[in-house]
Amino acid sequence: MAKVGVVGIGHTKFGNLSEFDLGDIMAYAATDALEDAGFLEKRKEIDQVIVGNMASGLFCHQSAVASSVISKMDMEPVPAELVENGPASGASAIKIGYMAVASGMADIVLVIAGEVMRKVTGWTGTEYVATMLHPQAEYDMGLTLPGFGGMFTRMYMEKYGLTERDLALLAVKNHANGAKNKYAHIQAECTIEAIADGPEANVVNTYVAEPLRMYSTCPVSDGAAALLLVNMDSPKAKLFSKKPIRIAGIASATDTHCVHNRKDPLKLDAVRIAGEKAYAMAGLTPKDISFAELHDAFSILELAISEEVGFFERGKSFLAVRKGETEIDGRLPINTSGGLKSKGHPVGATGVSQAVELVRQLRGEAEEGRQVRDPKYGMAVNFGGFGNNVVAMIFAKE
Amino acid sequence: MIDFSMYDFKEPEIMAYKCEKCGTLYYPAPMICGKCHSRRDPVSDAHWETFALKGPCTLLTWTRLWNLPEGYNKKYLLFGIVQFDNGLRASGRLETDNPVTGMPLVATVVSSDERPGKPVNVFVFKEAE
Repeated sequence: MAKVGVVGIGHTKFGNLSEFDLGDIMAYAATDALEDAGFLEKRKEIDQVIVGNMASGLFCHQSAVASSVISKMDMEPVPAELVENGPASGASAIKIGYMAVASGMADIVLVIAGEVMRKVTGWTGTEYVATMLHPQAEYDMGLTLPGFGGMFTRMYMEKYGLTERDLALLAVKNHANGAKNKYAHIQAECTIEAIADGPEANVVNTYVAEPLRMYSTCPVSDGAAALLLVNMDSPKAKLFSKKPIRIAGIASATDTHCVHNRKDPLKLDAVRIAGEKAYAMAGLTPKDISFAELHDAFSILELAISEEVGFFERGKSFLAVRKGETEIDGRLPINTSGGLKSKGHPVGATGVSQAVELVRQLRGEAEEGRQVRDPKYGMAVNFGGFGNNVVAMIFAKE
Repeated sequence: MIDFSMYDFKEPEIMAYKCEKCGTLYYPAPMICGKCHSRRDPVSDAHWETFALKGPCTLLTWTRLWNLPEGYNKKYLLFGIVQFDNGLRASGRLETDNPVTGMPLVATVVSSDERPGKPVNVFVFKEAE
């Protein structure tokens, strides 16, 4: 297989972009990625465009967004296709792009992912996102993704002794990082007094899906991100202005559609298996990872994912958070971008956004105060459904 | 004369499935038995036994959901995952004042027209009397 590297990154600010067209937002991020790679003028030499999106048909009443983006960027006749894998659509688009380059079918691939969710009300948006659940056994019951987040959190708390304050500590950490990230949806710090310890905490930090509170749940965001991938073994690799960041490992795995049908509903087998496959592909172990972006749509997932990919023993990750081990200057910084909690979660865009953060950190281009010291390997986990289709990625500084 | 008895009200039910070939129980049912690969006909359910999933069960976990999706005009709803005596599990609504993990419940089924689209059958787990 050819070595695959990232030579360009682009990212819109996440937030409320509902006045704009999804294709425009995606084209904006993609143009930034091409400019970053010094390849904007030569964009028609790209072999393939892969677009990641979860639900433009529902949120924007628009289908065939890959064709839309190509036209907006004046890139015809470059081939373009859409990849959909729920909230893991972004990382799946990277995986398909990786496969195209590694197989030798393409030398240069542009991956673009985006979502505009705020054209509809939160009431309707919650309904649309819930369509990824099992249609009869979960969706028809009235369940939602935050509902499963709440039930999962309760199981974890009752088994391992996690507290609501521990979840609030994650929000404080991630908001501190997101406050410094120019792309983050919520660029504001929060204090443990305001959201857990103080007398008004129950008002500031209300329940969403007990025991999950607002500060343990990601915002609803719009935005897009893009990557330019290249065959590092090809002479074309010399066409770009930036030194490639190598994709050392990328893998995905699936689990039961119904959460209740898992042998142990507290285990996220798809995360564990995707992680193991990515480590094997990269020839690395969890101890080699310098920092990680983990899909904290609900704060509990940052903890559970960090255990499934081997960073901590099962049921022990929150003890490391209490000690500050996952802060920027800690032993293993997690969600240096602010995570989904602070940076935001435009569902289909998130995997590519996580990859952009890996590249920024590995290049040493993160903002002051949230740059990890001399990172060599970054890992990201993009979580589809409620853990039923998960992608893990490991990027390496060459 | 029209025989209206055929339109008698039927209690809503949610069906579980048993592969007749190997005896494995399912809810909801797959198209292929994961154990013996016997295929299920989605129209006739041939070679698969169907039975109503209801009755005694145990609460495994629960949540009080405050941000309900489109169609629901309630302040909040309780949801839970339960396990039946036969080992099957199900997700659904919870109607109890003080939910506690491990508590015995009874699974009932109601018809709900809250979510967009046609009415659907929904589990409601209630306290055992």
